[in-house]
Amino acid sequence: MIHIGHGRDPARPTLVPREEMTVRLIHEGKVKRVFSDPESDERLIVEFTDAITAGDGAKREVLKGKGEVACETTEFLFSYLEGKGIATHLIRRLEGTKLLCKKVSIFPIECVCRNVAAGSFARRYGLETGRPLSRPLVEFFLKDDELHDPMITMDAIVRLGMATQEELEFMRRVTLDVNYYLSELFRQVGLRLVDFKLEFGRTENGEILVADEISGDTMRVWDENRSSLDKDLFREDEGDVVQAYKRLLERIREANPEQVPIREETLLVHVMPKSGIKNPPGEVARKALVRLGYDEIVDVRMGKVFEIKVNTPVSPRLLARVEEMNRRLLANPIAENTRVRLE
Amino acid sequence: MAIAVLRFPGTNNEQDVIRILNSIPGADPYLVPSRLGASALREADGVVIPGGFSYGDYIRAGAVAAVGEVIEGVKSLAEEGRPILGICNGFQILTECGLLPGVLLPNNSARFVCKWVYLRVSEEPTMFTDGLENAVLRIPIAHAEGNYYCSPENRSMLHAHSRIPFRYCDEEGNVTPESNPNGSIDNIAAVVNEEGNVMGMMPHPERAARAALGSTDGLPILENFVRGTKC
Repeated sequence: MIHIGHGRDPARPTLVPREEMTVRLIHEGKVKRVFSDPESDERLIVEFTDAITAGDGAKREVLKGKGEVACETTEFLFSYLEGKGIATHLIRRLEGTKLLCKKVSIFPIECVCRNVAAGSFARRYGLETGRPLSRPLVEFFLKDDELHDPMITMDAIVRLGMATQEELEFMRRVTLDVNYYLSELFRQVGLRLVDFKLEFGRTENGEILVADEISGDTMRVWDENRSSLDKDLFREDEGDVVQAYKRLLERIREANPEQVPIREETLLVHVMPKSGIKNPPGEVARKALVRLGYDEIVDVRMGKVFEIKVNTPVSPRLLARVEEMNRRLLANPIAENTRVRLE
Repeated sequence: MAIAVLRFPGTNNEQDVIRILNSIPGADPYLVPSRLGASALREADGVVIPGGFSYGDYIRAGAVAAVGEVIEGVKSLAEEGRPILGICNGFQILTECGLLPGVLLPNNSARFVCKWVYLRVSEEPTMFTDGLENAVLRIPIAHAEGNYYCSPENRSMLHAHSRIPFRYCDEEGNVTPESNPNGSIDNIAAVVNEEGNVMGMMPHPERAARAALGSTDGLPILENFVRGTKC
């Protein structure tokens, strides 16, 4: 497992005022409550309640034991993903329904990854549920119950200032990594990951971590008979949801995480001469193109692209290491700018 | 004095440098292939990093050589005040490894330039230009990336502290735009570090150190370097 955490800011006093030493409720969502950690203001306690909702909260029930199984599933899957090199906000499970987590501010965006047409995707495009997609698909939705969580484009997210282009590329790529590692684990025990939702949060020093939860509440998982082991049972009143979540966790626990091979990832590092720095190779290319008759050309700048393959998923630690590679070797910061692309 | 002449894969001027150093009394040059690492520099009183195309000049000229382990040894010697001379690719390596400020970009012409040039020596004395103050030297260059560039702050600092021993000039010693062969800011052909014991230069003094080569103007630079190793 890799360490994603960061040390305490030495400038920050370790003593907090007495009234803040107690556990405070910071946020209450539809199915979770978030508390302050009396021991550290860089951590939070997330409690999974027994509430279950669907249709943006239109349908709501309390099912005994649901919080615990969702919490346990999240702990198991986050730990598994951490073991593969994906950074999550999980520190450890505290008791039955509580996780100790790194403090992050959650992006108001849901990242949905789909392998098979189902749910709102099938309805939106009039598709038969169960139709496989040629490649995994990532969609973004705005977290807003009043607006019924509308789908949102990457451009809109950036224009509305909810995340930067780079942050979105990172979240999209990590979502695809999570999809691979979950799908492969589930496949071992005959389960099919149809789709799932991820949320991401940003730590104070800008690291983006997988946050919230991964459980039957946030995935569609089918068994060999295409029976759901997820919240669709609740949405469609088709059976005992808590029992299904427990069966899902039991079956996942039978898989062997070590048998899921690490997937190679490709990153692109673009190195370009800084603006204002003369770029003779680009100028030669420009003149040659104009000589060939392409007289609409005004300027050509020539840089380099490094295609780098790594044997670890994309994570804040990997991005920090790539920045270091750029600084130490791939670019000369006096004359060049770099950009890491996670297309 | 023991003078280490570094050879990276792709260095191709090391024999020229060793031959000229051997002709200078008191100099005892020895070849150090870079794979031997920093420990091979333990006995060195000075280091020359000759020209060539280290590691094919991939990524950027001198960039891969600059992160080689042997460079750690060069940095230690530089810190001790030992003379370090980087010629051509050696200059590029010294900027890339941070011993000298700035960077050598592709020539303005985007071409490899191989020709004789004139250099105006700074009037301020340096270890490498002792006795040459204000002289005009005739020494050849041969490079594709000799276009010296640095931040405006470093540029002012280099001028203020007289850290520019050589500038490209015409035959009369006038530093003009026409005599600038590669686009270097302020016609800079060489810079020294703050302490004055590390110099990088694009022109090749070893190719102008015997009458048969057409000029002996480079010899005093190498003689000064050898004298520096004795201090």
